[in-house]
Amino acid sequence: MGVAVIKNGIVLLFLLLLQLELFSSMRFFGVMPELLLASAIAAGWYGGPTSGAIVGFSSGLFYDFYLATPLGLNALTYAIVGYLLGQIAVFLSDEAEWIIRITISVSAVTVGLVLFVTFGELIAEPNLYNQNFGKILVISSLYTGLLMVPIHFMMAWAFGASRVTPAGFDRGLR
Amino acid sequence: MAVPRRYSGSRFALALLILTSVTLISLDARGYAPVSNLRKAGIVIVQPFRSLAHIVFSPVGDIWESFSNGDELERENTLLRRQLDELLSYRIANEGAVNDLEALRTQLGLQGLGGQETVVAEVTAGSVSNFDPYVLEINKGTQSGIREGMPVISTGGLIGRIENPGLRDSRVRLITDPTVNIGVLAIGTKEIGILTGNGVDQPMRVIDGIPIGAPVEVGSILVTSGLDRSPYPEGFAVGSVVEVVPDEVNLEKELLVEPTGEMDNLDFVTVVLYQPPDME
Repeated sequence: MGVAVIKNGIVLLFLLLLQLELFSSMRFFGVMPELLLASAIAAGWYGGPTSGAIVGFSSGLFYDFYLATPLGLNALTYAIVGYLLGQIAVFLSDEAEWIIRITISVSAVTVGLVLFVTFGELIAEPNLYNQNFGKILVISSLYTGLLMVPIHFMMAWAFGASRVTPAGFDRGLR
Repeated sequence: MAVPRRYSGSRFALALLILTSVTLISLDARGYAPVSNLRKAGIVIVQPFRSLAHIVFSPVGDIWESFSNGDELERENTLLRRQLDELLSYRIANEGAVNDLEALRTQLGLQGLGGQETVVAEVTAGSVSNFDPYVLEINKGTQSGIREGMPVISTGGLIGRIENPGLRDSRVRLITDPTVNIGVLAIGTKEIGILTGNGVDQPMRVIDGIPIGAPVEVGSILVTSGLDRSPYPEGFAVGSVVEVVPDEVNLEKELLVEPTGEMDNLDFVTVVLYQPPDME
């Protein structure tokens, strides 16, 4: 348990630094990937709903430190997304093809972004829903999808799901 | 039914995390100091790692930007060359303009930067979010005398104000943010209006306050009015009018305004250590 927490901390810190210092300037059409949301998704996949929610909350809180939105908004969103992915992952086979994993993950990024903006609008947070929302939704989801494979590998390492099956990692959920 | 039993605790965990998040959001929105301090502590703890990551990753980011903005830089370069030629041509004719401007400022009772202390800060990052492109991060904070709301200028004029300053870093909220309003005065007139941001790469707007007959035309310079409880001192250049749209119904002019302050590819900005009288 302790080792998994440390490994998850290392992965989250690394992804946070990538998000802040690398991908904030590596944008496609002004849009960057959502690595920390991706980490919540991958955590749900490899750790199940509880771990997905906890890792999602932690990664969202890390990201919240650097944003002008109220502290906890990303934490709330990512915790829910991590939990949902965990619930979905429980019912998926370990042998699910990578294409299925990535498709589900990309869809989850889209859902996460919609949830984030919806929660933001509910608390009257300005600037979240704007004319670029559609563009952000599409490009960020696809861009994050491109980076999903390495993030899946990192989270698999963090959760100790290191036995590689022909299709992917044995998540150890069953 | 083994799966639901195995994950029966997950709903409780999720509920707890949602409750914690909502509590944090609520407290932060009310400006509860311990939550702000938690945010600042988090930033301070990560800062050494971030500085290291900046050294490692910034060359990669620079290469990416040089590739992705190559065409834009070329266009900008051509435009700048043309502007330089024009400026050189008109330099002699405009030599007296500085004196004229100074005389005009004196006449209008506007202050310059001379009376204010300033701090020069390095821009360490742009926006780190997809949804809020109207911020910059700088490497100076309260330790350098910077406080919430202080004006930030770059070459050409006002570009924003300080938001949420930390000990050694601060966030700058840019004037292009649609939530930002600035009281402005058109130079050479006594017309005062409210300038509002209109988004990235969009001209800012003055919707109310300028009568249709006012002598405010394309090319007019707008400066901060400094009136009422304005957080900005008077007389800072904010923008130049690029289009005037008459509103025949309300008998007012809508002004479209380009910022005079440089906002792209900034390396350094200047923070004016000014606080409105009621905030001191």
